[in-house]
Amino acid sequence: VTVLIHHCILYKKAEVEETLKRIQGQKGVQGIIIVNAEGIPIKTTLDNSSTVQYAGLIHQLVMKARSTVRDIDPQNDLTFLRVRSKKNEIMIAPDKDYFLIVIQNPSD
Amino acid sequence: VDYVRSVDYLMYGLICVVLAPPAAVFRTLQWDTDPSALQLQADSELGRRMHRLGASKIVQIDFVPKELVTYTKETQTPSAAHQSEEEEEDEESSELKASPQTDQPEEEGEAEDSKEAHPRELTEEEREQILHSEDFLVFFERSVSVVERALAEEGDIFFDYSGRDLEDKEGDMQGGSNLSFNRVFHDDHWSKHRVVTCLDWSPQYPELMVASYNSNEDAPHEPDGIALVWNMKFKKTTPEYTFHCQSSVMSVGQIVLWDNRSHRRTPVQRTPLSAAAHTHPVYCVNVVGTQNANNLITVSTDGKMCSWSLDMLSQPQESMELVYNKSKPVAVTGMAFPAGDVNNYVVGSEEGMVYSASRHGSKAGIAEMFEGHQGPVTGISCHNAVGTVDFSHLFITSSFDWTVKLWSIKHNKPLYSFEDNADYVYDVSWSPVHPALFASVDGMGRLDLWNLNNDTEVPTASVTIEGACALNRVRWASGGREVAVGDSEGRVWIYDVGELAVPHPEDWSHFARTLVEIRANRGDGEEEGAVELPA
Repeated sequence: VTVLIHHCILYKKAEVEETLKRIQGQKGVQGIIIVNAEGIPIKTTLDNSSTVQYAGLIHQLVMKARSTVRDIDPQNDLTFLRVRSKKNEIMIAPDKDYFLIVIQNPSD
Repeated sequence: VDYVRSVDYLMYGLICVVLAPPAAVFRTLQWDTDPSALQLQADSELGRRMHRLGASKIVQIDFVPKELVTYTKETQTPSAAHQSEEEEEDEESSELKASPQTDQPEEEGEAEDSKEAHPRELTEEEREQILHSEDFLVFFERSVSVVERALAEEGDIFFDYSGRDLEDKEGDMQGGSNLSFNRVFHDDHWSKHRVVTCLDWSPQYPELMVASYNSNEDAPHEPDGIALVWNMKFKKTTPEYTFHCQSSVMSVGQIVLWDNRSHRRTPVQRTPLSAAAHTHPVYCVNVVGTQNANNLITVSTDGKMCSWSLDMLSQPQESMELVYNKSKPVAVTGMAFPAGDVNNYVVGSEEGMVYSASRHGSKAGIAEMFEGHQGPVTGISCHNAVGTVDFSHLFITSSFDWTVKLWSIKHNKPLYSFEDNADYVYDVSWSPVHPALFASVDGMGRLDLWNLNNDTEVPTASVTIEGACALNRVRWASGGREVAVGDSEGRVWIYDVGELAVPHPEDWSHFARTLVEIRANRGDGEEEGAVELPA
C-alpha cells in the first residue's frame, strides 16, 4: 500500500458543468456567463439573447473599470468587480483571457 | 535608494525582503518662540544698521518635497482586421455611436452587439477546445473559488435594522458557553458515505484544515481515498482543494498542505510498494523536525517504521521493524512524538499495549512496554502545551475498552484511567495551549472536554453531536480555541471552545499539584506491579 503524498485533479469538462450547476443552485443565483477576452460568450446558463446582451455590456464595463484602475496606478490591475443594483448584483471575476460573470439576487 | 523595510525568514527557507521608497521627509522649521531671541541679522548689503525688530507672529511652514508624478498610458493604433485589437476599436466606435443615436437605444444596443458578437461567434468546436484548454481550467478553478466566497459572504449592505423583525440567530448553544457548535464541513459529492480517517490543521494558515477520508463503499469507481482542504475563514461550504488517491487514505499530515503551497500541479508522487517501504496499511504519519530539517515518519500495521525525506520519496531514509522483546512485530495503530522531540516517540497497538521507542541511538527501536488497556489502542497524544512546568513526559491514550488513560513515560502503568464513556473511545487529543485540557470522542457521538484542574472524574464539558453516529477523530486548532471532529459519515464538525480553552498562568502549577494528587491516589494500592522506569 502506498503513502499518499500529493495528487491533484484539475477540473475536467464534466466537472465544469457540475460546478456551474452547483453555483447556479446557490441562494439567489440567477445566471452564470463565461466570456472570453473579446466578450464572446463561451458558456452560459441564461437564454441566448440575455447572454449576448450581458456579455457585450459587461465586457465594455470591465474594460473601462480596468483602464480606470490602471490609469490611477499603472502598476495596479483590476481583480474583481461587483455591480450592486436595486434588483440584483453582478459579480465579475476578470482574468487575462476570460471573465466569469455571476448574477445574483441576494435577497432571494 | 530603496530602504529595506523588513526581512522575514519564512518557512521553507525563503527569505522575503520588503523594499520601500524612502519616506517623504517633511522639514519643519522650528522657531524659538522666545521673542528676545528673534534678532534678524541684517544683510551686509544693508549696512551695519541694526534694526530693532519687534516680535511678529510666527508661522510654521512645512515644505513638502516635490513629488514626481509619472504617468503612462498605452494607446493602440487601430489596425485593419486584427481581432485581438477589436477591444480598443469597439470602445472607440461605441463611443462614437453613442452620440448620434441617443434617442434610439435599442438600435444602438443591437448594433453594438452585432459588432461584438460577430463576425466571430465561436463555433461549437472552438468552444469545446477552449473548455478543455489548461488555461481556461486554471482560470475557471480560481475564479469559481473567488466567486463562491463572494456569494457566501453576501450580507445585505442595505439592511435596515430599524424596520424589520430580527430573527434570533443565536447559534446552537449545546453544552453551555464552553462548547458550542460552529459549523460542519461536508461535501455531498466527495465526503458522503466516507469515514473521516484523519484531521490536521495547517501550521501556516490557522484557518485551513485538511481531512482525509477512506473509501466510499457505495461508489466503487470513485477514488478510494480522498483528502479535502477546508477553510474556516469563509462561509462557503465547499472545500478549497480536493485530492484523490487510489487507495484509502488512512492518515493525513502536513505533507498535503506543503505541496499545496507550491502551486505546482505535480503528478502523483508515491512511495514505492517494496519490501523496503510499507506493505501494510499505513496508519500513522507524522512530520517531525523544523521547517527546514525534517522527516516524514510513517508506521504501518505490520510494525514497520520508515523515515522519509520529502525530497526523495523513492525510498525511505531509514526503516526499522518495531518488535518488543525480540518477538513478533507490533501492530501499530497510533503514534505520537512529544513536543520538540524528533527521536523518541510512543505508539499504541492493536493488542492494547503502548510502547515507547526511539529512532536513533544505541537502543533504537522499542524501549519499554506500557500495560493497561484491555482493547486496541485507538488514539495516542503527547502533552504539548508549553509553560512554566514541563509536562512533556505525559501522554494520553484512548481505547476500545471504553477508557482514556493518562500515562507518564516514566511509569509502565497508567497514572489515571478516565472511565466516563459507554462506548469505544476513538480518539483523544491534548490542547495545544492549556496544560490540563484534552478532548476525547467516542462511538456514541460524544465529544468530551476534560479539564484535569477542574475535575478528574467527569468531563468538564460534553456534547453529543446530533446527527453524528460515531466520532472517529478529534484535533485541536493551533490556537486551542476550536476542535475539529470527524465522524463516520464524512462530516467534519467544528466546535468553538469558550473560556474553558484559555489557560491561565497558574494552570501549570495547578496541574503539577493535580498530578501529585493523582500519583498519591494511585500509590494507595490501585495499580500493582508499577515499575519506575529509567529516564
